[in-house]
Amino acid sequence: MKRYWKPFFLSFLVLLVLFPFTYMVLLSLMSGWQFPDFLPSYFGFKNWATIMTSEGGLLQSFVISVIISLSVAIVTTISGFFISRVVYYHPKSKVLNVLAYFPYILAPVVFAACLSFFFIKLGLFGNVTGVVVAQFLIAFPYALIFFSSFWNQKMKSYADLTATLGGSRLQTYTKVLLPMAKSMLLVCFFQTFLISWFEYGLTSIIGIGKVQTLTIKVFLFIKEANYYYGALSCCLLIFPPVVLLYFNKRYVFKKMV
Amino acid sequence: MFLEIKDIVKSFHNEHVVKTLNFQLEAHQTLSILGKSGCGKTTMLKTIAGLVSPDSGSIILNGERINDKKPSERNIVYLYQEDLLFPHLNIFENIAFGLRLKKLSNTDITERVSQMIKSLELEGQAKKMPNQLSGGQRQRVSFGRAIITEPSLLLLDEPFGSLDAGTRQRMQVLFKKLTKEYQITSLFVTHDLKEAVLMGDKIGYMHKGQLKVYEGKKEFINDPNTGVQHEIAFWDGLKVNSD
Amino acid sequence: MKNRIPHIGLVLFVLIGILPFALAFIYALLYSFGVVGVVNTGFTFKFWLAVLQSGEFFKSLIYSALIAFVSMAASVGGALWITIQFRQNLEKKFLSFIAYLPLAIPGVVTGFFIFQLLSKSGFFARISYAFGWIREATDFPDLVNDTFALGINLAFITMVLPFFVLLFLNVFKNERLDELSILAQSLGANPRQVVQRIQLPILLKKARILIVLYFIFLLGSYEVPLILGQESPQMLSVLIIREIKQYDLDKISEGYVAAVLYTIIVSATVLFLFLPKRKNALI
Repeated sequence: MKRYWKPFFLSFLVLLVLFPFTYMVLLSLMSGWQFPDFLPSYFGFKNWATIMTSEGGLLQSFVISVIISLSVAIVTTISGFFISRVVYYHPKSKVLNVLAYFPYILAPVVFAACLSFFFIKLGLFGNVTGVVVAQFLIAFPYALIFFSSFWNQKMKSYADLTATLGGSRLQTYTKVLLPMAKSMLLVCFFQTFLISWFEYGLTSIIGIGKVQTLTIKVFLFIKEANYYYGALSCCLLIFPPVVLLYFNKRYVFKKMV
Repeated sequence: MFLEIKDIVKSFHNEHVVKTLNFQLEAHQTLSILGKSGCGKTTMLKTIAGLVSPDSGSIILNGERINDKKPSERNIVYLYQEDLLFPHLNIFENIAFGLRLKKLSNTDITERVSQMIKSLELEGQAKKMPNQLSGGQRQRVSFGRAIITEPSLLLLDEPFGSLDAGTRQRMQVLFKKLTKEYQITSLFVTHDLKEAVLMGDKIGYMHKGQLKVYEGKKEFINDPNTGVQHEIAFWDGLKVNSD
Repeated sequence: MKNRIPHIGLVLFVLIGILPFALAFIYALLYSFGVVGVVNTGFTFKFWLAVLQSGEFFKSLIYSALIAFVSMAASVGGALWITIQFRQNLEKKFLSFIAYLPLAIPGVVTGFFIFQLLSKSGFFARISYAFGWIREATDFPDLVNDTFALGINLAFITMVLPFFVLLFLNVFKNERLDELSILAQSLGANPRQVVQRIQLPILLKKARILIVLYFIFLLGSYEVPLILGQESPQMLSVLIIREIKQYDLDKISEGYVAAVLYTIIVSATVLFLFLPKRKNALI
């Protein structure tokens, strides 16, 4: 008796999760949806067709977003992996660990506002490089802390063993440490990709509207009250991660707790 | 002398972990070292392997002072109590690991590894992954991986510590056989009295950072510090009681 | 020789992980005291006094903290409940994928989506109209840009709750909670006690740091309140950015005062929360 509600509730949860995806797709197919009509005046692929034309610049934004997020994810994962080794094998690793958490305290957008002076001085304001650098700065602490669990005593033993078996420093990395860290590297890449892919506040400040990633586009369309294009950019924003999640989900949480 | 350790001192945080270590070992011999946990034996082995640098003293291997050599250039293999098989490599590749580092030819590697697998009594397991083996089998792979590189010196840190009694005994026999077959020189650290007596051509006793190497097994047995007398008294006592 | 590479690593750590944040903080500090900045003429307390006297910052801080607290409590509570109730179901293939899907939705989209649903001409307003519950858009209640931050809270919960479900499911597996629960039962615990004495404490303990981090994340969150928030009080990040980006140049310095205050208050809280327990490690 008591158990009967469970399947219903679960189905409800599933619908709840699928709802935003469906809604965004449907909204992106509409136009001329006046209140209080229940159905729009147009329903079809008109909006989607504009991705291919230059109107709205969505394709461009998509490409820029991919380039930025890939760059951030690659640089962050690699640097995070190597630098976390130094940090977590350091005699004072506890102190360094606390320091590594500090960047989390400042909201990225406030951080960007406080840093913009330096970005202007360095010529990193309003261009793609600047956005990549800024996003790298907020994704880096994540990667650093993410790899902390990898550099344990056992991994040190593996590295030492490899050395006594005659392995050089390079061989220790290529033959032992990197292969053993493979799944963690993948997860870190994926997560830092998402951090960058989803980032809005910091990008809007460092990019000052000149670097139009997809999140920036969504906001622009919302401001213009062009909700159909807004939904269309939302679709472009959420479906690539869905695909990645499908292939990657078993890795996502590994070693996070 | 093949291995000479002279006046090695090592301290951490002002505490002497190894105090003026002095001993010698001839080639193709095994020195077993008895010691309780925390007596400094791991630090001693790591110092010889080059994983820890000593505060003073010298390590001479085959007439050459090797203090300033990197671990990878010493040709000394240090084995942990854990088998530390590489989880991403199968048994064959685990054993072949050191040879691959040296970039030997494939045919050479295949031949030597197959031979080693036979010596280790692991036929038919080559393609398996480490997690498919038992504790004893894994430990054998770990040995094979070290011995196949023909190390000048093999350092073993409680290698059978995590095995059950039966497996432990079989491993002792196998280890004896292998060291003979491959003419290995080794330091064998253990906290097991019987194992120390069984495995070593010579025996040492380490206590609070100081190592004493005995001339022969007799001296070792007669020294009250080693605990052998205590053990004998215990068994004798049982015998008397049951008579 | 041996130490050179670790040195470079440590330098990089400081350069990437610490220096930018230190610089940002110092810059904000100097700006807030009028030492740097376009129209500023030198050291002064006037911006600090202005901020402290107007009280807008503290209103905003309390408002943000309340929203973050309510959202976190609902999310963590809901996630615990879902995890404990539906753990076995969520491990099945289809559902386990569904459970991960919310991670694909960024804050911008969540904000936009909630706005689409709850605004006066949104999805629910249309449904209400179709059913004859309302006659005009203005009849529909204020669910977004409202005083009680209903929209913001809802958006936060839809973002945070799914994450914690996944997290708790993982803790369940990693900490072998099923086995521990069986053990507790064999020691005489009833199902209720198993949940209260074994499952909840372990789940919460393992998630402690992430709960705090998510609280801070919500406290400083920007895009969701930007879409769904009201004019006053605003959430902190929105307030700070509004002031820093203003044309009224005096306000810029006040924005930096707020940024500095915010950083100090959050740091102090975090240190207070974590330092006393430092004996038993950080994670």
